[in-house]
Amino acid sequence: MEFHLFNYGAYPDIPFIDEVENTVYIDLPNRHFDPVRGTWYLDTYLDTLAFGEKLGFDGILTTTQMGGPVGMTPTANLSAAYLAAKTERILIGTIGPILNAYQNPVRAAEELAMLDQMSRGRLIIGLPMGHGQNYHSAATMNPAQARERYWEGHDLMVKAFTEPGPFEWQGKYFHVPYVNLWPKPVQQPYPPVWIPAAGSKITLEKCAEHHYTYQALFSPRKALKRNVATFRQAAEKFGYVPGPDQVAAVIFIHVAETDAQARLEAEPHLMFLMQNLNRSRQVDAFPPGHFSVSSLRGFMTQGGYRDKDISEMTFESTLEEGWAVIGSPSTVVDQLHQVAGELGAGKIIHIADFGAMPNWMIRKSLTLMAEEVIPQFRGPGGRPVWAERDPRVAPTHAEYGAVKTEPEKVPQARVPGIGVVDVRGAHVDELRKPLRP
Amino acid sequence: MTAESSAATAPARTWRYWTEPAWLTADGVRVGYRREGSGDTLLYLHGAGLTRQWLPLYAALARSFDVIVPEQPGFGDTELPDHIVSFDDLVLHYDAVLRTLGTGRVHLVGHSMGGWLAADLAVTYPERFASLTLLAPMGLRTPETPMADPFRWSETQADHAVFSGTAGHYLEYLQQEGELEDYLHEYAEGIAFTRLTWNPRYDVRLEHRLARVLAPTRVVHFADDNFIPPALSARYAELIPGAQLVTLPGASGEPASHVAIIQQPEAVAALMTEHASKYPVG
Repeated sequence: MEFHLFNYGAYPDIPFIDEVENTVYIDLPNRHFDPVRGTWYLDTYLDTLAFGEKLGFDGILTTTQMGGPVGMTPTANLSAAYLAAKTERILIGTIGPILNAYQNPVRAAEELAMLDQMSRGRLIIGLPMGHGQNYHSAATMNPAQARERYWEGHDLMVKAFTEPGPFEWQGKYFHVPYVNLWPKPVQQPYPPVWIPAAGSKITLEKCAEHHYTYQALFSPRKALKRNVATFRQAAEKFGYVPGPDQVAAVIFIHVAETDAQARLEAEPHLMFLMQNLNRSRQVDAFPPGHFSVSSLRGFMTQGGYRDKDISEMTFESTLEEGWAVIGSPSTVVDQLHQVAGELGAGKIIHIADFGAMPNWMIRKSLTLMAEEVIPQFRGPGGRPVWAERDPRVAPTHAEYGAVKTEPEKVPQARVPGIGVVDVRGAHVDELRKPLRP
Repeated sequence: MTAESSAATAPARTWRYWTEPAWLTADGVRVGYRREGSGDTLLYLHGAGLTRQWLPLYAALARSFDVIVPEQPGFGDTELPDHIVSFDDLVLHYDAVLRTLGTGRVHLVGHSMGGWLAADLAVTYPERFASLTLLAPMGLRTPETPMADPFRWSETQADHAVFSGTAGHYLEYLQQEGELEDYLHEYAEGIAFTRLTWNPRYDVRLEHRLARVLAPTRVVHFADDNFIPPALSARYAELIPGAQLVTLPGASGEPASHVAIIQQPEAVAALMTEHASKYPVG
């Protein structure tokens, strides 16, 4: 079981939902954002994620939220870059860039390749479609074309990672005469990909086809089980059985000394989240075309992603429906075993920051999580994956020296009176020899 | 969304203004359309809703014209083919529809999204239309007073924007197959509307192109329209050579909303008939 730390990075000082005209996504006036308090909330968010390495999580994850207080990071890639600099070995997931927000996906591929390079091969890539509210906020991405454009973008990005450039891409949505990725990612063929999916059958099938990890979002547990089953059936069509490492469950987790204490700490914050940040109006979450008519019919008749008014959920029902696991370490261990069993999930995406929760409370819970819960799911030694095996490629000069090979071409310059020399040694008189005239 | 198969198995349609459409195929697209009346032919391009009905407005117009109301692709029972994604595609679609119907010159009318399309048609085929009438048209930018965002209305907000608060009096135009099916049908129509108008919600090219319109034009603004601002209708009248702007006030104690076409069908028909009949197709 892998544990990945994921937070909202929300800006909490906002009106209560009954004072909000439409939604906190999209059009809550940004006069509520105080730049100075904002720096502290953002610092806290990033600092807690960086702390994930010291805690011993397997990975830390960044997110994209735009146009409102739900998250202060409109580009997951930027936060991931910051974390790559702040950490040494922990896996970093940017989960992630919204492909449709890019004019063409090669821009996204370039950023991701650069991130993988900067982190020395620690990158995980998440490719969200973007939720409905993102489409309203981002304006120039059309929800009616979203899925088609996204998958062409995905295919172009994968080809940019895997095929030698330059090559020309002539697609329905993108014509790129020179796809020529410099740099290329470190990980081969490309970093692992997670696809967040709320239940679109096509998404699950594509996820299975490419052997990606299916990131099961939020929905009540029964909807997630259906989606995982769909994912498994799709994988059968492609001739394999997906392992637990291919299913990631997103869960709000809070740990305290006792179940009662955990409830005392978490309940108001969880309710803040559910009542203010996790709810959205139908028109905002489902602009036409974002889901197909049949998918929407499914949500509305069979229950699914956000099918009931989330703000009306009680604390008990968020636990019963599997949105949250909140309790003492042993309670949390038991519940996570259950989740893992029911969903066949091998990755837990732990949301720790419940909106407005003070950082000292988050760190208290996370420390208990790290010391009392996570070791129950690991072998002796309790090592995260990056301690079992260094994910980085030749991170020291010595290791680089041991593995480096001569390049096909060396950097050269013509020096008058001598000829074309290899500039790498040309500062040494004896080595300033002509390779050719 | 297939029309005939759903009609075969679906329950009978009992809403007040339902009529069975006729069918034609234009450039491979199966189009449902309704046609009544005689005299000069008038092509009416509807806006994004109020479909699967022969509205009283159409019946009033049919007293003076041979009225054709095709269902726009993706609306009513008419399919939304993959290749129709923009107004340019619709211009070619209606060229095919008109050629299939063999109508010759016609009067052209468009409401709301249909008004934007009518403007595009009049720009593309300046000699084809004997007259042009735009009813509360979309399609031009008005940065000082932007049009309301049609993609984010709650039920109450939609009532305000589209009906100026009077939706409660016109439920028979809105309630068709039951709450869930109506919601899903509107969502499906929304997909066509989204393809066409999500972004940008206007066409800057029209600011230059409208000078090409030769058809004598009347722009009708509905006085209390909370979706289309007065500046938008006025801008069409400004940019189309010789166009006149008429504003329809409220009546019978109701504001004249974006859908005054159902609130005041006789008054709207009169404004249209008065204009078009000055320019017989001849």
